[in-house]
Amino acid sequence: MNNQKIANAFVFNTEIDKTYLESLYGDDYIYLQEVFNTVLNDYQSLTDNIEYSYSSGNLTALKAAVHKIKPVFGFVGLTAVQNQCQQFEKICVSAGSPNELAGDFETLKNKLSQSKQILEEEKKKLELFNSNCS
Amino acid sequence: MSLSCIIVEDLQVAANYLRNCCEKSGQVEVRGHFSNVTDALSFLNSNTVDLIFLDVEMPGANGFELLDQIAFSPKVILTTAKSEYAYNAFQYNVSDYLMKPFTYQRFMEALQKIQPSKETISTNSASDHIYIKTDGKLIRLNNDSILYIESMGDYVKFVTSDNKKYITHNTIKNLEEKVSKQHFLKVHRSYIVNLHKIDDMRENLLFIKGNEIPVSKANKADVFRRLNIV
Repeated sequence: MNNQKIANAFVFNTEIDKTYLESLYGDDYIYLQEVFNTVLNDYQSLTDNIEYSYSSGNLTALKAAVHKIKPVFGFVGLTAVQNQCQQFEKICVSAGSPNELAGDFETLKNKLSQSKQILEEEKKKLELFNSNCS
Repeated sequence: MSLSCIIVEDLQVAANYLRNCCEKSGQVEVRGHFSNVTDALSFLNSNTVDLIFLDVEMPGANGFELLDQIAFSPKVILTTAKSEYAYNAFQYNVSDYLMKPFTYQRFMEALQKIQPSKETISTNSASDHIYIKTDGKLIRLNNDSILYIESMGDYVKFVTSDNKKYITHNTIKNLEEKVSKQHFLKVHRSYIVNLHKIDDMRENLLFIKGNEIPVSKANKADVFRRLNIV
């Protein structure tokens, strides 16, 4: 689909940076749907890795796991969550033990959970949108 | 298609996006996607490519360990943005960094950087000299005057027997095909040496007029074949 007028009709969740997504994919909403699919397919294992690293008290692994998921949020326009991951990586470096970042981890964990919901909703919306346009 | 590449990336969405950019460019043929170093190495043991899009942090071995183990010197574009890799990137002749996610325009800029600079050197491999473009002029260097050539990222340094150093925009890979095969041999991803100037060799090092040159495992057999060992 290469019709900007049609593309403008799609309303993203307010958490999603539409301008940023357009800079990556233009108005290719079919491809964008693929991106959301791919991200959701991998999401659970990426977040499981974060939780496992935290529960095992391995801050180096925790930082690496958060670093790994960070760009995923960029690919789906959740740039604020991407930045939050960046901040959390810095906290991992300065923290001496997992207890020191318990509060920050809880905040991040909640954010990851909320983000998954947003992604699932957007994916459904995109599927409907693209099927109506085809 | 002018370039062949592989993508070494464990994040599926990033690998897919890269593949899409490559296809869109019409300039890069993706010959494979590997989510870990072991699988990539297995492919590269029996295939060569011009370019590797390489993530650094992956499960198991990291991206630089892959570059240590392959027997040729492809161009490399890192798909990471960690400044702590800058020194390694220089050592491994990395052409550019792409911070994920990147725009298609940024991808194309990275691609521009890896096109071989064909205008900075003039020679044919049978000639007894080469011309290099440096400081805005063409300078003639006789093969016999060159001790070795060293990679400096997107540049190379020619070191000559009168202890002069000439820096020009080029790559070891490009030069390897252009310099006289009678005189020169690539001994490491970052070095081409003049075989007639080698003073001695110990373990994985060559010595030329007091300069220590590393010899990679992959190139060591070639070096022995070319030396006049009696």
